[in-house]
Order: sequence, then C-alpha cells, then structure tokens
Amino acid sequence: MTLPTLPRIPLRRAYQALVVACLPLLAGGWTSGPQSTFETEGPVAKSQLDLFYVTLWVCTVIFVLVAAVLTYTTLKFKANDNDPDRPPPEQSHGNPIIELGLIGASVMALVIIAVPTLRGIWYSYEIPENERANAYEVTATGYQWWFKFEYPQEQIDGAGNLLTANELVIPAGRPVRINLRTVDVIHSFWVPKLAGKVDMIPNRGNHLWLKADHPGYYWGQCAEYCGESHAVMRFRVIALAENEFNAWLANQKLPARKAGSVFASALDQPRIQFAAYTYEKQRRNAPGWSEAFDQQPFAAWKKQQDVTVNDNLELVAQGRKLFQEKTCIGCHTVRGHEGLGITGPDLTRIGARTTIAGGLLENTPQNLHRWLVEPNEVKPGNKMWFGGYMARNDKGEWAPTFTVNDNEARALVAYLNSLK
Amino acid sequence: MDVTAKTDFIGKDSPASSERPAIFTRPTAKTGLVSWLTTVDHKRVGLLYGVSSLFFFLVGGFEALLIRLQLAVPNNTLLSAQLYNELFTMHATTMIFLAVMPLSAAFFNYIMPLQIGARDVAFPRLNGFAFWVFLAGAVLLNVGWFVKSGVPDVGWFGYAPLTSKAYSNAFDGDMSTDLWVMGLQVLGVSSIVGSLNFIVTIINLRAPGMTMMRLPVFTWMTLVTAFLIVLSFPAITIALVGLMMDRSFGANFFEVSNGGLPILWQHLFWVFGHPEVYILILPAMGIVSEILPCFSRKPLFGYPIIVFSGAVIGLLGFGVWSHHMFTTGMGTVATAAFSLATMAIAVPTGVKIFNWIGTLWGGQLQMRTPMMFALGFVWMFMIGGFSGVMHAAAPADAQQQDSYFVVAHFHYVLIGGSIFSLLAGIHYWFPLIFGRKVSEFWGKLSFWVIFIGFNVTFFPMHFLGLNGMPRRTFTYDGNMGWNSANLIATVGSLILGVGIAVYFAVMVYTYFKGQRVGRDPWNGRTLEWSIPNPPPEYNFAVTPTVHARDAFWYEKHHQAEIAQEKAAHAQEEESHGGIHMPSQSWFPFLAAMSILAGSLFFTNHNFLGAICGGVALLVFVYLWAWEGPGGYHLHVDKDGNLIDEKRGGHSSH
Repeated sequence: MTLPTLPRIPLRRAYQALVVACLPLLAGGWTSGPQSTFETEGPVAKSQLDLFYVTLWVCTVIFVLVAAVLTYTTLKFKANDNDPDRPPPEQSHGNPIIELGLIGASVMALVIIAVPTLRGIWYSYEIPENERANAYEVTATGYQWWFKFEYPQEQIDGAGNLLTANELVIPAGRPVRINLRTVDVIHSFWVPKLAGKVDMIPNRGNHLWLKADHPGYYWGQCAEYCGESHAVMRFRVIALAENEFNAWLANQKLPARKAGSVFASALDQPRIQFAAYTYEKQRRNAPGWSEAFDQQPFAAWKKQQDVTVNDNLELVAQGRKLFQEKTCIGCHTVRGHEGLGITGPDLTRIGARTTIAGGLLENTPQNLHRWLVEPNEVKPGNKMWFGGYMARNDKGEWAPTFTVNDNEARALVAYLNSLK
Repeated sequence: MDVTAKTDFIGKDSPASSERPAIFTRPTAKTGLVSWLTTVDHKRVGLLYGVSSLFFFLVGGFEALLIRLQLAVPNNTLLSAQLYNELFTMHATTMIFLAVMPLSAAFFNYIMPLQIGARDVAFPRLNGFAFWVFLAGAVLLNVGWFVKSGVPDVGWFGYAPLTSKAYSNAFDGDMSTDLWVMGLQVLGVSSIVGSLNFIVTIINLRAPGMTMMRLPVFTWMTLVTAFLIVLSFPAITIALVGLMMDRSFGANFFEVSNGGLPILWQHLFWVFGHPEVYILILPAMGIVSEILPCFSRKPLFGYPIIVFSGAVIGLLGFGVWSHHMFTTGMGTVATAAFSLATMAIAVPTGVKIFNWIGTLWGGQLQMRTPMMFALGFVWMFMIGGFSGVMHAAAPADAQQQDSYFVVAHFHYVLIGGSIFSLLAGIHYWFPLIFGRKVSEFWGKLSFWVIFIGFNVTFFPMHFLGLNGMPRRTFTYDGNMGWNSANLIATVGSLILGVGIAVYFAVMVYTYFKGQRVGRDPWNGRTLEWSIPNPPPEYNFAVTPTVHARDAFWYEKHHQAEIAQEKAAHAQEEESHGGIHMPSQSWFPFLAAMSILAGSLFFTNHNFLGAICGGVALLVFVYLWAWEGPGGYHLHVDKDGNLIDEKRGGHSSH
C-alpha cells in the first residue's frame, strides 16, 4: 500500500513552512528578554553578537546555496516509476575538479569567519590597553548556589574588602575586570547583555571583563551545572553613573543601619509596615517576581535604596534577637551588628537589595518570609536548610535543629528589611 | 589478496575434543535461551545489540519526554530538582552509551562481515563477550532506579569536583556516582574489545579481491570508528579510574581540597568526548553513504574523497577537544588554536555533504523510506553542522556555551544526524535480516511525523539559547521570554514521541506479519545483498571474489563469469574440509557476569566481593583460553542447502 501524495511533498515545502512559522516568532519576542544575547548593553557582548552575525550570514548563504542545489537535485532526478527494467543511469564515480573546487570554496568561507574570530578572542580576553587605566576591579566568587562579590579597591577599616552578594553594582561606562573564583564546584558567570560567560573553576584564577554602556539593571545566571539547585542560581548586575556609584559605595562602607535612626526624617514618608503583609504558603518553584517590578527594575532598585523607611522598632529588635538565637550569625554577617559567618551571603545591606535567595525572588516581605520558613522548597538542597535548619543526628540522618514559625519569620523579615 | 592465502584459515580443525574435561564440552544448542547466551554468531550478537540498544533508546526517549513536560510551562512542579537532574544525566548517558553506540555496534556486527564477504568476525567469542559486558555496563548505570542511592545526577560529563563525595553524595554511602563511574568503565571495556575485533576483522577477513579501496563506505566508517574508540576510550578510563580512586580510596586527582585539578578532568574527558561525537556520527555517515547510492542507482560520488574525509574527521577529532572548554579561561592562544582546528573540521564534513549531493545528481532517485530518512539526515545534519561552525567562533560561543543553543546543535547532529541515519539503516537492512519488508506507507508516515516533531522540538531551542536560557535547569521564570518557545518544543517532543512509537509499532508488526521479500529487494550494490534472507548462519555458501567496488552490482552485471568462478571456489573450499564455523562457548557470558558482580560489589565498597568477582573473571578468561577456539565444518550444495555436518548438533535448515 502506498500513499500517492505524501512521499511527493518535497522537503523544501516543509522548510518553507518552518521558515514562515519562525518569522512572526522572530518579530514577536523570541530574541528579546532580560537575558537576550541580541539586546547587548556593552562592548564585549556587542563584539560577540557581531561575530555571531558574521557566522550566521556566512552559514545562511552557504545553506541557501546547498539547500537549493539539493532540492533541485532531489526533484529533478526523482524516478517517476519503480520500473526495475529501466537501464541504470551512468555509473559515474566523481569529478576531482568539482570536489577540489568545493574544498577551496569551503576554506575561503571559513577564513571569513576565522579573521573576526581571532580578533574577538584577543579583544574579549583582556581590557584594551588604552582603557586599562580607567578599569574597575571586583572579585566574584561562586557558592552553591549564590554569588559573593568583593570590591578589592574598597577597603573598610577593620573589616577588609567591601562585600556584597547576588547583586553586583558596577560603575557604568568603565571597563570592569571581574576576577572569578569558586569555593566549591564549578560555576559560570554569565550576564548575557554585558558579556559571554567565563567559568569559575576551583584552583584556577579566571577573569573576564565587561562594560555597561549605560546605567541599568541586568540579569545574570550561573551557566555551568553545579548541583541540585543550579537552575535557581541567579544574580543581577546594576550599573550606576559615576556619582551614584560613589554614593552607593560610601553608604555600603558604613556599618549596618540601626533601625529607627532616620525615624524623625521619615515622618512624612509613607509608612511601610513590615508585619502588615499577609503570607500564604506557596507551592514549590512558585514564581517570585512581579509585573510591576519587571517593568521598571532599575527604578525599583533605586527605590529599594531609600533608607527613609519607618520601622516597627519592637519587631525589628525581636528579629535581631532571633537572628542570633536561630544561629543565623554562624553563616551570615551583618557588619556593625553581629555575625562573623562567611559561608552565607553578607547581609549588611540585605534590605537594599531587589532580590533574595540568590537572585531568585523579588525582595518583598512575603518572599522573604517564604524563604525563611521553607528554604528547601525555594532552593532545594541549599546549605541554609541542610546544615542550618537541619543537622545530622546520631544515626547520620538529617533531623531538624530548629524551625521558624510564622511570628518568628515576621520579626526576622522586619529586621532584615531594616538593613538598608 | 590471493585465494590460496585463505586455505590455512579454512582448513584447520581443532584438536579432538573427546580427550578434554567435561567443562570444555561446547554448547551446541541452535535454538532457545542457551543458544543465545552462548552464541558466537556475529548476526545473533548483532541482533542482541540491536534489541537491547533499541530498548534503551525508548528508555532514554521516555526520560526526554519527562524533561520536556517539566519545562512545558514556567515554574512547573511535575519533577523535583533532584529527579530532573537525574533524568537529564541518565537521558544523555543512556542515549550516547546505551542507545546510539550499541545500535551502531549492532550494524557493525551484522552488516560489516557480510559486506566484506566474511563468515564471522575475527574473534567470535570476544564478540559475544563485548555484548555481555555492554549489558553489564547498562545494568550498572540503570540499577540506581531500583535502589536507595538513585541514579547518577552529575551530568553526563560529570565535571569534577561535583562528582566528589562532598558534593554528590546525598547521604553516607550514596553510590549513585560510583555506579556511573563503574558503568562507564565497564562500557569502555566492551567498546574497546568490540572495536579491536572489528579492526582485525576488516584488516584480515576481507574476501579475496576486496582491497581497502573497494571496501563499502559503511565498512570504512566502521574501521575509522573502531580506531577512534580504541584511541579515545583510554583517556576517559584514566579519568574514571582517577575519580574512582578519589571516591573509594581518598586519592587526590580531582579533589580540590587536597590540590587536585578539576580542569584536568575536563581535558581528559573531552579528549575522549570529542572523538566520541564522531564515534556517534561516522557510522551514521557510513549508513547514508550506502543508502544514497543504492536508491540513486549509481555509485557514490567521489568515493576516495569520502573515505579520506571520514579518516580526516577522525584524526582532526582528536585535536579539537578544547572547543568544549572555550569558557574555562584557557587563554588566547589555546582558544585561537582550538577555534581554528574546529573550523578546519567543517571542510571534510562539508565535502561529505557535497559528495552525497553529487551522488544524487544524475541518478534515478527512488523515494523509498530508507531514502527519505537518509535525505532527512542530509538536511538535518547540515543545520547541525552550521550551528557547529557558529560554536567554533570562540567569542560567539561564550554566549552559546551551556545554553539551549548548544542543546539544539547537538540534537540536530545526534537525532537529525545519527538517529535518522540509524532509523534509515533499520529500514534498509530489515528485509535482509528478517526477510520481510516494511510497508512504504507506514514507513513514510513515521518518517514525516518524526521529521516534523523533531524540528518543532529542537528548532525553537536555538532561540531559547540565544535568548539566555541555560541548559540543565529544572525550572525557569515566566518573565524571561522563554515561555512560548518552551511550550512549542514540548509539543514537538510529543509529536516526535508519536512518530517514534509509530516507527517501532510498524517494525514489530512487520517482524511478525510483514510482506515477505526475496533476495536483494532494493537492487543493492554491496555483498550483503548477494545472500539469501534471512542469512544462513554460514553467510556465504562460497566465499565471494571481489572484482570491483560495489561488488554485488558487478556480480549482477557479470553473472556468467562469477558463476564459473564460484563453482571453482566451492570445489576448492570443499577440498579443504568445507565451511568452517566457530563453536559456541559459555565463557564470554560467564566472564562478563563476573565483571558485573565484581563491579556491583565494588560500588558498594565491598572490596572482598569485588576481589572475588575479579578472580572469577580471571578464572573464566583462563578457561576460555584453555578451551581453545573449537570449530566445526558445514557442507552445502550449490543451492546453499546443508548436506552433512561432522559436528555441531542438528541443522535448523
């Protein structure tokens, strides 16, 4: 049994359908998003995109030519019958001139790609000579599953380098050299709009450089499989104009904010009641971002820096006490308050960040509450849960050392949010 | 090659077995379980490889569908992070080591000896051993589904230090990673043993007149692939042994806390891993190079350059491994060198595409199902090849590496390439192997469903990757612009799944109820089509003499000359004692099972048991050697009917 029409549909038609199907998608957003490599915001990503377009064009031209010949050949030489008695075609064995010619043509096409490739390799590896004097330097360290950022050029008396986590703030318009380190497994530092990724490998001092053309808010994500919660190991890069960056640095170097210190000046500001939110248990993997934040992330970040908030002082004090009791201080540091922990992110200015849990959730009281109450549901396998909330008992099994109930979480949220 | 050069091989008989101890009584069953466990027939070993690899192909496909269902919508909760990580690790490991490689090995086993006019492979018992060791490795990799440890979750390239005890053990004594380490080592044994066998077979057992430059291209690619396996598997074995020492005995090859070098793992892994890519694709290219000439009714265009390109791809394949590591900060010069070397590989690959088109040009293209799959291969492999060239530009690759763009690329090469070609091969050789032909309607229907499903699944992934979606992520947020592409990819994967289901349903139906066909249903060009189907256990009643490339095509056009020649050869062969057949043996199976037992003990850190397994292996290998090659003679008349047997049980004919 044969179907007369189906085999006769040429492959070409399937391809036309595919291409036609792709066109609206191209226009309709498959190339745009927070991590799009097409919407570059810096010279490194731009040079990589330009090179991609070179490869794309060369490949497309060759593809169209070869595909046309293949389609023509398939249609032209298709046997219209399966007559076994038909004499076979000429048994030709090849044509050396054509074969050598095509090899030569392929080599030429590859040279077109190779030249900009070589230029790009050297360009993206090191900051260009003439810009090096103006360069800023930070060190990024990968942890399972968050990023620590250090500012070796910013020293704090008695505390060493300025430290922050998961939100890297850099000066816009200046080349930034980022030293890449890891404390555990291999991670990869990737901010698609600013630069291609480079891996963070143990016992190896890698680096990359990038530059943000304009102030802005950029998404980044770990790009090397690094264990259970690799998918939710994310971060942000915030590029600021020079004066804003300096102001940010100055504020960061101060010890942690004391709640109520700006109480007087904040009387006219809208009150933020940390305890006033309603918390609902979220399902696993539930999204932690809001439309409003996504529309204007950079504005949201700036708003988050505003220290003129109104604290519920009693709740904050209670939270600070819980921060010690629940052994948070073992892993986290709030510089100027307490804690010497270095295995978890520095929380000195957690309240001023736009995200928590390694860039995963928007920094809202509800999300912070969720993260504190059920960390393992948000980021499976994380060390705050295994090793913090849970410890191995005598039998070597994981057993709870403490829990955080609703009221405790509210107090902790109030305290952490006061750390601006 | 001279006919007389083979007399020594044909004529010798084994020493009389009556004087040997009972343990050396050779099994002679021709049907039933024992006949399969003790088989040394390359066709039966090929079928065993084929059936088990297709089983694992379906398992791996099922894992892939679960992965796609989890990613259908953002923030999905169908799978836990842990299960998702296990699934993508096992999907890749299964598809590469338990599906595509052994399916290629099935064709090597079944088809290659027939193409060179041989009666079996050079070492028939070793061939059986290779299969049983493969099965042992497959059990090791998958046994985690049934025990508390679970299956490996470190990714198919298991980057150190994620594989160290500190990061991969969910609890004390978690042996999922140990199973992965041991399973791959055992599979390596199987691959190397099998490949050595194929190399010796192709070099030594070619029929008279079958010079190297008359070998069918599939056999050539078998040879190149076998060399790649023999040369590349030692690299991963070194890495795996090092890792095993780290995990079991506290060594420090990759243990960072003691100064080990994780980057060393990557180099060792990819020195194996890149040739491995060609191990997966070269047999596919070989199959396509058989099918296109057959259904174009003309010889392969530029045979020497296709063969040479295959060899060059194999050779260059050892010099490009670090393009998997462009983002590891190798420095400018190394990156540039590997970038250019990778681009260079595009030339011989392009040559193959050009020559396939040249083969079609001027032919009489018969659009049967194998031809459809082969043409589908050429199209899909072109796309995969072009995205490969894009990766070769290292700075652009910094954006693509470890993103869904790479996932799209290697699925175009491995499904659109390897799998399409292997599915074509199954269709093409099915009438030879089972004497039945698949319905053209259902064959073509399955082709179109698979072709469409495949493209709908993987084409959007190019965009996902360039839009910043990293691979190996169990979830993503809905605000990244990835939702519609992911949903379309999942729908496509379901279509692809339906296509594969139709394909296999049709195959199973055809095996039982398909239309019977006679000898040479496709008007073939190579020697495997010169024998009856299904092939008799001795393959060729008379060893053929080869006068040209496309040996069978020549035979069909010079029938009188060939008939005369065959009669003379038959007489000569009979005077040397008839058709010499290898004896069956228990020891390949028993030796492989000792490896399985020893490995299971080792992964459980029961070293006494592991030593016992090792001792049992040595004992069985010793008995295997002591047992001797054995062998018996068959006699056939000129129609190929068995007329008398000195030894070797009853006839099944």
